[in-house]
Amino acid sequence: MTKQSTISRAEGWRRRGPLLPALIFTIVVTQVPFAFTLYYSTQSWNLVRPGSREFIGLRNYLYVFRDSQFREVALNTVILIAGTVLISAVLGLAVALLLNRTFRGRGVVRTLVITPFLITPVAGALLWKTAMFDPVFGLVNFVLQPLGLGDVEWVSQFPLASVMANLIWRWTPFMMLLILAGLQSMPTDVLEAGRVDGAGPITLFRELTLPHLRRFIELGVVLGAIYLINTFGAVYMMTQGGPGVESANLPFYIYQRAFLGFDIGQAAAMGVITVVATILISTLALRLLFKTFTATREAA
Amino acid sequence: MAEIAYKSASCIYEGTDTPAVDRLTLEIEDGEFVVLVGPSGSGKSTALRMLAGLEDIDEGTITINGTDMVGVPSKDRDIAMVFQNYALYPNMTVAENMGFALKMRGLAKDERRRKVERAAQLLDLTEMLDRKPAKLSGGQRQRVAMGRAIVREPQVFCMDEPLSNLDAKLRVQTRTQIAALQRRLGATTVYVTHDQVEAMTMGDRVAVLKDGLLQQFATPTELYDSPVNAFVAGFIGSPAMNLVSAPVTSEGVKLGGTTLPLERDQLAELHEHGLTSATVGLRPEQLEVAHPGEGVDVRIDLVEELGSDSYVHAHLTADDTGEPATLVARSHSRTPGRLGETIAFRKSHGPVHVFHPETGQRLAA
Repeated sequence: MTKQSTISRAEGWRRRGPLLPALIFTIVVTQVPFAFTLYYSTQSWNLVRPGSREFIGLRNYLYVFRDSQFREVALNTVILIAGTVLISAVLGLAVALLLNRTFRGRGVVRTLVITPFLITPVAGALLWKTAMFDPVFGLVNFVLQPLGLGDVEWVSQFPLASVMANLIWRWTPFMMLLILAGLQSMPTDVLEAGRVDGAGPITLFRELTLPHLRRFIELGVVLGAIYLINTFGAVYMMTQGGPGVESANLPFYIYQRAFLGFDIGQAAAMGVITVVATILISTLALRLLFKTFTATREAA
Repeated sequence: MAEIAYKSASCIYEGTDTPAVDRLTLEIEDGEFVVLVGPSGSGKSTALRMLAGLEDIDEGTITINGTDMVGVPSKDRDIAMVFQNYALYPNMTVAENMGFALKMRGLAKDERRRKVERAAQLLDLTEMLDRKPAKLSGGQRQRVAMGRAIVREPQVFCMDEPLSNLDAKLRVQTRTQIAALQRRLGATTVYVTHDQVEAMTMGDRVAVLKDGLLQQFATPTELYDSPVNAFVAGFIGSPAMNLVSAPVTSEGVKLGGTTLPLERDQLAELHEHGLTSATVGLRPEQLEVAHPGEGVDVRIDLVEELGSDSYVHAHLTADDTGEPATLVARSHSRTPGRLGETIAFRKSHGPVHVFHPETGQRLAA
C-alpha cells in the first residue's frame, strides 16, 4: 500500500467519522435486537415455565407454519392492508378532486380534511369504537335506525371491517394530500390542449389527469402499505384481535404470543418471518416506485 | 375555411376591474394569416384564448363564419391550437398525441394512423412516431405540436407564441416553415407573438395591441410606413424608431441646432391644434452619418457592428433641454466613428413622422 493511499484513508476516516455515532446508534437499536430475536427464535422458551429453556433449532418456525391461526392472521393482515390502502386511495382521489376546485373557505376545508391523519391512532380508534360503532349510543346505528338497520353490533359482528373503517378514515387524508399535490402539479395547458382537441371532462380525466396522477397514487399506496403493516393501536383498542383471531393482524398476534402467552421462542420466530416478508414486499414495492419516478424524471 | 370576426369582444379576469381585452373589433378574412402582437400584458394571448374558447367572452362577441361563439365550448369550435410550451400529452407517443383529436372525433384506427403518418411526413416526424415527447428535442416537440394541429384540418389555427422556446436559428427556420405551411393549407390562422420581427415577416395583417386595446390593424408595410400613433411607431421596427420631442417652428421642428423641415400638411395640422412642440419620429435608416455641421450634431454613445451595417447610438450635443435626446442611425460604413466622437446625423429620405406630444396620435398622413 502506498503512502498516498494511507493518507487518503486517514482523511476518509476523518470525513466519515462524525457519522459513526449515528451508525452505532442505529445498529444498537435495530440490528442488535434483531440478532437477539433470531437467537430467541431458536429457543423453546416459555416464561411461565421457568427452566424450560432449551435450543430446538428451527422447530419454532415449523410450529409457526403449522399454526392455522398464524395463517389466518397473516391473511387478515393482507386483507387489512390491501383493503385500507385501495379504498382510501379511491376516496382520497375523490376528495382531492373536490378540493382542487376553487371555492370559498378552501383553506379551512383542506385543514379540516387532513385532521384524521393528525389524531393519535389510539384516540382515533377509541373514537370509532365508542362514538361511531357503539351499538347503544354510536352514531352509525343512530343514523341507520330510521332505515331499520339500527341494531348492528359493528365491532363484534364485523370486527375486521370495523378496524378497517377506522384505518380508512385515518389514511384517506394522507392519500388525498399526495393526490392533491399531483393534481396541482398538473400543467394546465395540457388540459387546455385536450379541451381544444375535443375531449370532454370525463375523457380529459381518464386520458390525461389519471395517467399524470398514476405515480402519486402509487407512492401513496406503497407508503401506506409500509406503514399499515405495523398497525397495532387500532386492533388493540377496538377488538383486541377478537373474536378469536378474527381481527388480529401479525403485530397484534405476535404481541399476544409474547406478552400474554409468554411464548418468547414462537413469538420471536413469527417476528422474524414477518420482518423477512415485509422486507421482501417493500423492496419490490420501492423498486417499482423508483422505477416510475426515474421514468418521470426523464419526462420532466 | 373560416372568416373570424371579433365584435367589441372584451374579457375581464375575475378580481380585476380593467379588462384584459377591451372591446376588440377585428375582421379576419378566410385564409388570412393574422398576427396579434404587443408587449406582455397587452392582452394578445387573452384575445387568442377567447377565440379558442379557453377564456370567456364577457362582453361583445366573436363569430366564426357568422356563428356566434359565446358559450360554445372549445371542442365544438373546430379550432386547433399550438401552445407556447407545446402542451404535448406526456403519457402518449407522438402518434397518439397527433391522433388524439381524431380519436375524440371517433375516427377509425387505420384512418387515424393514415392521417397521422401523412402529417408526420410533412413535418419530418415519421421516425419519431413511437417515441414519447420526453425523448424529443425542443424543435421536434414544436413540430409535434404543429402536427397535432394540422392533422385535424381545422377551420382555424390558433398559435400562442409557438416559437418562443426555440433558439434563434431554429426560430427563423421554423418561422418560414410555418408561413409556408399555412399558405399551403389555406386555413385561417391567428398567431400571437411579442416579437415584432415575427409579426412583420409572417402576417398578412398585423394587429398591434397595448393594454387590451387595439392600436392598429394593417399590413406590415402599412404599420411600418404610417403607424397611427407613437406606440406603434416605437414598437414596430428594429431598432426602434427614433422618437424625439421637439419644439415647432414656422418651417418644421427644431432638432438640436438645426431645423428639420416638415411637410406642409403636417405643419398645417400642428398649427391647427395650436401645438408648440411635437413628437417627431425618424427610422434609423432615415438618418445617415455625416461630418459635423452637415446635420444635427451628435456625440457617439455606442456603435453596434452587425457586419453588413452598423447602428450608431448617439445623443444630441446642442440640446438645451435637460435630458439629451438620443438617436440611432444605420450606417453602411464599417467605421462610422469612435465612441465619444462628435459627428452629425443627416436626414436622408422618406417623410418625417409627426405625433401629437400628449396623445401620441399621428398628425397628417
